[in-house]
Amino acid sequence: MSNPTISNAIESGPPHVHHMDAPTAYHAAKLGMWLFLATEVLLFGGLFTAFALYRYVYFAEFQTASVNLDWRMGALNTAFLIFSSFTAALAVDAAQHGNNAKVRRNVLITLFCGFVFLIVKYFEYKSKVHYGLFPYAVKGFENFLFTGSLFLAIGASGVVIFTHNAKLRLPTILASIALVVSFYFLKHTIATIEFDLANLFPFGHAHHPKDVWEFNGPEFNAAYKSYFGLYYCMTGLHALHVILGMGILFWVYLKALNNRFSPNYYTPVELGALYWHLVDLIWIYLFPLLYLVG
Amino acid sequence: MFRYLPEQASKHAPHVDWIHNLITDLSVFFTVLIVGVMLYFAWKYRKRNGVDHETPQIEGSHSLEIVWTVVPTIICVIIAYYGIIYYHEIRQVDPNAMTINVTGQKWFWEFEYENGKKTTSEFVIPVDEPVRLLMQSKDVMHSFFLPSMRVKRDVIPGSYTYLTFTPIKTGKYMAYCTEYCGDSHYAMLANLRVVSRAEFDAWVEDKGKIITDPAKRGALTYKAKGCNTCHSIDGSRIVGPTFAKLYGSEREFEDGTKAVADEAYIRNSIYNPGSQVVKTFPNGVMPVFEGQIPEEELLDVIAYIKTLDGTQKVVVEEEEEGVIDPANMTPEQKGEALYKNNACIGCHSLDGSKIVGPSFQGLYGRKGEFEDGGTYAADDAYIKESILHSTLHIVKGYPAAMPAYQFTDEEIASLTAYIKSIK
Amino acid sequence: MAHSETHVEGTNYLNCQKGIWSWMTTLDHKRISLMYLFTISFFFFFGGLAALVVRTELFAAGAQFLTPKQYNNFFTIHGVVMVFLFIVPGIPAVMGNFLLPLMIGAKDVAFPRLNLLSYYIYLIGAAMAVISLMPIESLPFINQSFSDWLVHTAGLGGPVDTGWTFYAPYSLAKSGTHSAVIWMTGAAFVLGFSSILTGLNFIVTVHKLRAPGMTWGRLPVFVWATYATAIIQTLATPVVGISLLLVIMERVFGVGIFDPTLGGDPILYSHLFWFYSHPVVYIMVLPAFGVVGEILPVFSRKPIFGYKMVCGATFGIALIGFVVWAHHMFVSIGDTAAYVFSFLTFFVAVPTAVKVFNWVSTMYKGSISFNTPMLYAMAFVFLFMIAGTTGIYLATLAVDVFYHDTYFVVAHFHYTMQGGAVIGLIAALHFWFPKMTGKMYNETVSKITFVLVFVGFNLTFLPQFVLGMKGMPRRYFDYTGLENFDLLQTLHATSTIGAYINALGYFLALVNLLYFFVFGKTKAPANPFNSLSLEWQTQSPPIHENFAETPIVTEWTYGYGTKKEA
Ligand code: HEA
Ligand code: HEA
Ligand code: CUA
Ligand SMILES: [Cu+2]
Repeated sequence: MSNPTISNAIESGPPHVHHMDAPTAYHAAKLGMWLFLATEVLLFGGLFTAFALYRYVYFAEFQTASVNLDWRMGALNTAFLIFSSFTAALAVDAAQHGNNAKVRRNVLITLFCGFVFLIVKYFEYKSKVHYGLFPYAVKGFENFLFTGSLFLAIGASGVVIFTHNAKLRLPTILASIALVVSFYFLKHTIATIEFDLANLFPFGHAHHPKDVWEFNGPEFNAAYKSYFGLYYCMTGLHALHVILGMGILFWVYLKALNNRFSPNYYTPVELGALYWHLVDLIWIYLFPLLYLVG
Repeated sequence: MFRYLPEQASKHAPHVDWIHNLITDLSVFFTVLIVGVMLYFAWKYRKRNGVDHETPQIEGSHSLEIVWTVVPTIICVIIAYYGIIYYHEIRQVDPNAMTINVTGQKWFWEFEYENGKKTTSEFVIPVDEPVRLLMQSKDVMHSFFLPSMRVKRDVIPGSYTYLTFTPIKTGKYMAYCTEYCGDSHYAMLANLRVVSRAEFDAWVEDKGKIITDPAKRGALTYKAKGCNTCHSIDGSRIVGPTFAKLYGSEREFEDGTKAVADEAYIRNSIYNPGSQVVKTFPNGVMPVFEGQIPEEELLDVIAYIKTLDGTQKVVVEEEEEGVIDPANMTPEQKGEALYKNNACIGCHSLDGSKIVGPSFQGLYGRKGEFEDGGTYAADDAYIKESILHSTLHIVKGYPAAMPAYQFTDEEIASLTAYIKSIK
Repeated sequence: MAHSETHVEGTNYLNCQKGIWSWMTTLDHKRISLMYLFTISFFFFFGGLAALVVRTELFAAGAQFLTPKQYNNFFTIHGVVMVFLFIVPGIPAVMGNFLLPLMIGAKDVAFPRLNLLSYYIYLIGAAMAVISLMPIESLPFINQSFSDWLVHTAGLGGPVDTGWTFYAPYSLAKSGTHSAVIWMTGAAFVLGFSSILTGLNFIVTVHKLRAPGMTWGRLPVFVWATYATAIIQTLATPVVGISLLLVIMERVFGVGIFDPTLGGDPILYSHLFWFYSHPVVYIMVLPAFGVVGEILPVFSRKPIFGYKMVCGATFGIALIGFVVWAHHMFVSIGDTAAYVFSFLTFFVAVPTAVKVFNWVSTMYKGSISFNTPMLYAMAFVFLFMIAGTTGIYLATLAVDVFYHDTYFVVAHFHYTMQGGAVIGLIAALHFWFPKMTGKMYNETVSKITFVLVFVGFNLTFLPQFVLGMKGMPRRYFDYTGLENFDLLQTLHATSTIGAYINALGYFLALVNLLYFFVFGKTKAPANPFNSLSLEWQTQSPPIHENFAETPIVTEWTYGYGTKKEA
């Protein structure tokens, strides 16, 4: 075998870039993302299987239980996610043409949609708690929001620091602090908002067979519990993915701010969008399963 | 080589051992072959004088690959085949098999015969007749293992599992719990006696008396389910609230609400204890007895609780009617009551058989050896020490499983008197 | 191959950047590998100490110095630490990280940042596991209300005492020390995530970063082994994720999934657990197989025998490994399922047999030298024969009915995991030590260590086979009064003595390697063992980018033969 010749031409500890050429990097990243998506599908696949199984076992109860979900909220969220998927695709297209401004615009819209999605989710969960469809009396909602904003701020700062983007460091950290501070002062106000779609749309109310359920009470049997257990696990895990996807897209946005994308380099946009599509896709299965079919 | 399996006491044991020994021989053969060849190569082709010699570029051999793929496959299929058919044999229930209900619970085994006879930690079966153990668990998973019978099956809460075998030798054997189940998993043992048909008949017909008084039955349940370890009957506080004067009293709960202790309340406290925890008592300690104490027995327990006004000191005795006044009891009787009420009965037999600890039969005056090599002669002082400092000296051959008891000197004297009486 | 002397001096990955910070933020796969190595070594000794506690308690019948509860805590700690914190993350992440890019001629793994992230995720998971193993309630420095909060609200009433399998419904009890189970399962999930990312990284690396000319057919067997391992890591691990979510559903929402009092099925938990945990045993052992496949050719100066079969068998094991999980549950599942799983299990033995035969044939007509790595590799073959053939007993339905949950199983899995995976790891550490550190260790000390480990190990676990044959159940705090009590006592005592010898061996191995890493004077040449695979063609230790120039591969890795006839 021929020995590759080895010389000793290294000067110092080099920065860790370019350990592969650009096309390889692109293909590697794409393969990696597809593999990751595969594991995600396996993860959710297990939950879907569990849902199918329990729905089969507790057919009637699942029907009754699903009435408690407000399909209009779900539909609203579906619309937002589908639209955001579309803008994410537009961002990829823009990146392939090297139009960084357009990337920024579309990513921002996507992020906004994700944000709205989470807000709607928040009110949905809150109304569930209100109607006693959660095993514990959750009191400190405002603290929950506050900690949420804290994590968001820390996460955003982390992303910025990791992108080695000196220009952005200070503004992001300031913005994060501002976010945390404003949430701290506003948390009580926010927590008192009672949001029910019934106030927005004149037609009909969410069906609540009973005004207030008692999750740990005797009539709330194992079937209902498994329905809501699955509901929280599936939508909760999905919401977690939305947050993760937003993190990735935020990082993409920062890169676009630096005009990093060109027809030769658009991997992050493409992967971010790919991930976002998965998040969307999972929701498109979740929505009919939980809200419509029951 | 390596024939270490225990004695073959069931009909199918020789089959299991046959396939087991076949695997042993094949394994030894292959291990010796492969390792032998390896060592031979290592020696034969060792590098000499620190210089590498020329080596051929052998990259493989199709025929060899085929041989060592096919041969193991064939062997594997053969072993798998016998493993499966003998397993099938193990699981086959003879239609004439006698059924014994076995219940596993942290950490003992209960047996119930077709005629209603119940035993704990020991069971007896007739030789040469098939039996079927129908098993269930009251709490977590256990597993029932009879090494000499070559049978084992998990005992699973919420479902029935079974074991079946035909013993072919009389004698004493042991059953182990082989599914980890908590602190005393290691002490969840049972004895099996395989006896002649005649002996079995005599044994199984001896059932004791039938009790008619519900409160008395309740008292027995109170004891059997271990309620007594947490709930006193004399008003003292142990872990949970006392049962004395419980019925009809007002209870206050952790969340400030109140309720009167009526039948429904007691039932709920036993079946679903977490739902109402009396103030100042710990939550989550009491096990859920739903499904463990059937409704009829529960009524007995309630009847028993109703009788408790704080004056009772001992749980009802099986032999006597009603409650005995402890003042009228002889030391021996007091000792017997202590023996029965403090679960000594669970580990120390009266008939010389070994349950967990040494039998009380003929204990007084016995001489023997400790685990640590010392010797003892069982006198008053020895018995006292064994009870108060139970794990200080362990008699050879027994586990250090006994809890330390806090008895008064008078109680110990009673117990000693009782033990003396068992000859 | 002898041009190594020219660049002994100069920079390498160890000294090109300095300071703790440069290590903690490093993206270099070699440094990350070393960080894993130090962390898992720590956990190995931690788990080993727990094993010594267990063995000391069992030295004689009766209570020695523990209570039953403490004993249960200790074997749980031992099992959990050894499996989840030491060997599963350790074997692929240490050896794979260091060697994979070097062997295929790449500068790094495909995603260096992700690689570092995996390491930190691993640390977080390890921290969670350690927390759940802590006896919070009895820690003296915590004030009462805080400790109550930790135990009752944060669910930290450890240490866990469920065994490493966390069987339901025992592990579901909400009160007492079980409450920490959620942290433990949570830790398993986090660790699993780290495992997924590492596996994913490796798959992509092998696909995309092979040097020019490094075709699939030229890959070293270790690369194939790691690749197969990576596939198991990515596919099996998400299932633990779901199990965890279901456990959460059970605990938070009171849904009866596993708990029979709520209408659940405890056996379902066992299925989910083993669906992951059986493939996991091949995550541990496949890289070790790969290591042996590298060492034998080098010290025999012969190509690996039956290259294609060896690599193919690796995949056979990985794939069949996915469909045999229920062999851990023969005495709790239905009869038909038991037949099927028993039958399938046997087919794992066939590819393994193929590998063993090929390894031994590799030595045929070689020129064999007995350096420490070679000794370990040969010991591996012997120990794994015992490990594997005892697996055959357990796969045999009628026999497993007897052996399930006895010490025979304990002995079996220590032979596989310790005699197999750990010995493989130690062999690898000795073999690649010059490459990793640029130093040579002391051969004599290493050989003494080897003897101690080998003798100690067999002395510990051979008696346990006999214990199992006598029906001694596992997880028993005490064996007083069991059948054949006297024999059990002797065997347990022997086993304990063996464990101490074994521990001494490991301790010495650690001291030996660590000492020469730090204080060693002898500089290692680039290729001390005259290997042909790529990692040896660069300097020792390698430079930051591994290779100054991308190597171009023109031949198969195993051209050791010097005679032309064959
Ligand atoms: C690295 C880890 C590892 C490996 C590689 C293996 C390998 C194998 N294991 Fe093991 N196993 C464990 C780790 C491992 N195991 C653990 C941790 C447990 C217990 C977990 C617990 O309960 O806590 C366990 C338990 C376990 C059980 C369950 C026992 C019980 O609880 O009742 C079974 C049953 O089938 C089994 C079987 C096998 C088989 C058939 C193999 C095969 O892969 C072995 C194949 C190899 C060979 C057979 C040798 C080479 C063959 C030849 C040279 C050919 C000649 C031989 C013949 C023709 C037979 N193992
Ligand atoms: C990779 C996995 C791995 C490894 C390497 C080991 C290593 C060892 N194991 Fe472990 N073991 C398991 C995985 C492993 N084990 C698992 C999964 C279980 C099941 C748990 C359960 O049931 O849930 C188990 C269970 C188990 C039991 C059964 C307990 C029971 O069922 O009751 C026993 C008993 O002997 C045991 C012993 C040992 C011993 C003596 C070692 C030794 O090899 C350890 C060697 C010692 C060391 C590594 C210490 C190193 C040296 C020092 C600390 C320095 C000391 C100082 C000087 C000597 C100077 N193990
Ligand atoms: Cu019951 Cu172990
Ligand atoms: Cu397995």
